[in-house]
Amino acid sequence: MSTYLALMLLLPLFGGSLSALCGRNLPRRLVEIWVCAAVWGSFVCAWLTAVAYRAPVKVALGSWLAAFDLKAPLSLYLDPLSLSLVLMITFVCGLIHVYAVFYMAGEADYARFFALLNLFVFAMLTLVLAENLPLLYLGWEGVGFCSYLLIGFWYTDQKNADAGRKAFITTRIGDTALVIALAWLFQLFGTFSITELNGMAFLVPGGVITAIGLLMLVGAMGKSAQIPLMVWLPDAMAGPTPVSAMIHAATMVTAGVYLLARMFPLIGGSATVTAAIAVTGCLTAFYGATCAVAQRDLKRVLAFSTISQIGYMMLGVGAGAITAATFHLLVHAFFKALLFLGAGCVITAMHHEQDIYKMGGLRRTLPVTFWCYLAGTACLAGLPFTGGFFSKDSILGAVWLKGGMLYGGLYLLALVTALLTAFYSFRMVYLVFFGGNGHVHQTAQLKPMQAVLIPLAVFGLLGGLLNLPDYLGGGLLDHFFAPLRQGKAAEASHLQEVALQAVAGVIALAGLWAAHLRYGGAARAERLMEAKRDSSPLLAFLFNAWYFDALYRTLFIRPYQAFAAVLWQKVDEGVIDDSLDRLSGAVGTTGSWLGRWTTGHVSLYIFSFAAGGALILGYLAWLAL
Amino acid sequence: MIENVVFYILAGVTVTGTICAITARQAVRAIVYLVTSFFALALIFYLLGAPLVAAFEVIIYAGAIMVLFLFVIMMLELARPEKLPGPRLADWWPALLLMLATAGSVVLLASVRQPLPQAGFHGISVREFSQALFQRYGVAVELISMQLLFALVGALFLGRRR
Amino acid sequence: MTVPLYHVLVLAAILFALGLACVIAWRANVIMMLIGIEIMLNAVMLTFVGGSAQWGIADGQLFSLMLMALTSAEVSLALAMVVYLHRRKQSVNTDDFNSMNG
Repeated sequence: MSTYLALMLLLPLFGGSLSALCGRNLPRRLVEIWVCAAVWGSFVCAWLTAVAYRAPVKVALGSWLAAFDLKAPLSLYLDPLSLSLVLMITFVCGLIHVYAVFYMAGEADYARFFALLNLFVFAMLTLVLAENLPLLYLGWEGVGFCSYLLIGFWYTDQKNADAGRKAFITTRIGDTALVIALAWLFQLFGTFSITELNGMAFLVPGGVITAIGLLMLVGAMGKSAQIPLMVWLPDAMAGPTPVSAMIHAATMVTAGVYLLARMFPLIGGSATVTAAIAVTGCLTAFYGATCAVAQRDLKRVLAFSTISQIGYMMLGVGAGAITAATFHLLVHAFFKALLFLGAGCVITAMHHEQDIYKMGGLRRTLPVTFWCYLAGTACLAGLPFTGGFFSKDSILGAVWLKGGMLYGGLYLLALVTALLTAFYSFRMVYLVFFGGNGHVHQTAQLKPMQAVLIPLAVFGLLGGLLNLPDYLGGGLLDHFFAPLRQGKAAEASHLQEVALQAVAGVIALAGLWAAHLRYGGAARAERLMEAKRDSSPLLAFLFNAWYFDALYRTLFIRPYQAFAAVLWQKVDEGVIDDSLDRLSGAVGTTGSWLGRWTTGHVSLYIFSFAAGGALILGYLAWLAL
Repeated sequence: MIENVVFYILAGVTVTGTICAITARQAVRAIVYLVTSFFALALIFYLLGAPLVAAFEVIIYAGAIMVLFLFVIMMLELARPEKLPGPRLADWWPALLLMLATAGSVVLLASVRQPLPQAGFHGISVREFSQALFQRYGVAVELISMQLLFALVGALFLGRRR
Repeated sequence: MTVPLYHVLVLAAILFALGLACVIAWRANVIMMLIGIEIMLNAVMLTFVGGSAQWGIADGQLFSLMLMALTSAEVSLALAMVVYLHRRKQSVNTDDFNSMNG
């Protein structure tokens, strides 16, 4: 088992290092094959591990940090949560690597790109498998770092570099909170091991647990793009589409959810923390959905959609339903990656045009893409019996069953969000694939790119099989995750389950119908006309993502820049530099003033001579007194 | 006994002569006052048991050096009647200040030392003096003669006709 | 002759101070400065002779003699220079010779 795990981690690491160090000198095909083989090799190892899995196990690979009390060995923890995530990550990333080979066929700097992709996979796997918090944080920072470099991959364009920086700085705020939580945990318990920490929640007062839980929530907010640290994700679409698919849909942004799920036995005991998580998740879900309704750029719609769906996962965690949240995480990875890759196909075919109001009729010219995309959209909207339906509904059910005023309100908000989700996802489909002429720019890469979409579509649609509700035969994941559950999540009767699912299904269909009314058929042309005119204030508000960027600029960035300007001009130049300049000026002035003593007049010299002698004599006499 | 009184009288003459020399407006008068002062000083030397030094003071100092001064003053034919641009008050007060400082310090330093042994007066005879000069300080004599040679050469050089 | 050494030293100090005053007060005139220097040297000679009288050692008087010889050499050179400078600039004002400055 430990061999498989070690191999699983080392293969992408070596692949990335090879590409980074000598990728430019090797033939391109070799590098591409090598990096894809590395990730698929990881997948094979993950599969073998899954076959050999019996019970949660800790695998020690070596020693890393060891100083006095502080011990952080390289040990990995394999349990249902990490195993399922590892399988998903390697599979999805493997597919995306293959896709990226074709998508980036025209890119000259392939060595850097593939190196970063592989290193990212390594970091993500480390994050998921880590048994102690520093190792988890290593993976956490690693994915953030790779994300920064990949978002700003085409760094020669200032906008891309800015987007990368924005992502890095925003997630850094969350990282700081996480580090504080780590340090505090070590100070309290003297250990970093997750398995040990998760059993020690009862040892400290509730207030401390709440504080640590909230700190971890802030860390998750940054990495998973939740309110208020979500501003980086829409701008991160400046990176290449495979990057968006891999990092900002399937894997990195789920790291926050994973962290909270992993540490749930420790922090879940505090009702404040779970409520905070749930509220954050639900508000973010609503925020993402409303913004996605008004976007024009295809990738931005998907970005806001990601924000919204991660909000759902957080809501699930907050309601105590780890299984449901993980289920949605897995299915979401499949269909969101599918949607992003499909968007990549569309964008390539439309010669890098990304405005959906300028697309149309691709249903006929890109049939494979269309059907896969439709499958993904159905999952996203939660149309009945797709994978997305079961996963989203299990979260909604868990929230409903939690009870109480707060969760009841969150349930209603989540329903509204579901309606909006269905609406905007089909809006996207209608605008991109229906109507107009489907003039595309066919390239040789499109065929294999579209071929990659198919397995993802299959998994997305059939993903529901992973965890069917009780009345349909019980969930695989439920059984698999049984050892993880802390305290019983409220069990619902079959009738309640069916009722909840019916509600969710109706909502999804209602959204679809509303989208059809507004964007389908004849109405589509009208909408295109409208889009050319100026939009209403409400639409502008949603288009600009509730003006959060402007808010942060006024609240934080402008004052910071003003402060920095003051420090620069007044303090650094004015005080520090100028004081040195003035000091040297003063020394110079004193020197030249003293220099006026050398007049060349003997009378002055004799006088100085005598005065000096008198001074010395006087001093001696004074000493002798 | 009476020598003590003479000493004090001579001291007064010396000081008065010097003061007048300092404040004279004409150079020649200053020189003459100074000669008077040197004569009194020579007598003090004699009273202190240094007859040879007293003689040399009169012969060399008052007789040669001061005369040399007079020569030069005459030769330079400074503006009639050889009046020098006298010092103004602005020049006197630093002089007085420095004078007080120096004199005061020296007197103070001298007075705070351990009390000296009571005045033991020992006169030095000429024979003793000469023996000391040529036996112990023979080299010094040679050096002095060389020094006079340097001065001679220097004066000749400075005074040569272009 | 029982004048205490202290009184001799006081007299020498006064003479030295007067010589110094002459140099400072007349520092615009070369010749008067030289006269001031003479007075100072005499004061020093007085000190030496006084010391020699106190302890009965001839060295004090001997050094007085050296001083006298030194003074004569110095005066001759100094006055030669005064003559030379007077030839150059027709002036005995010390402040006129200030080219060695800066």
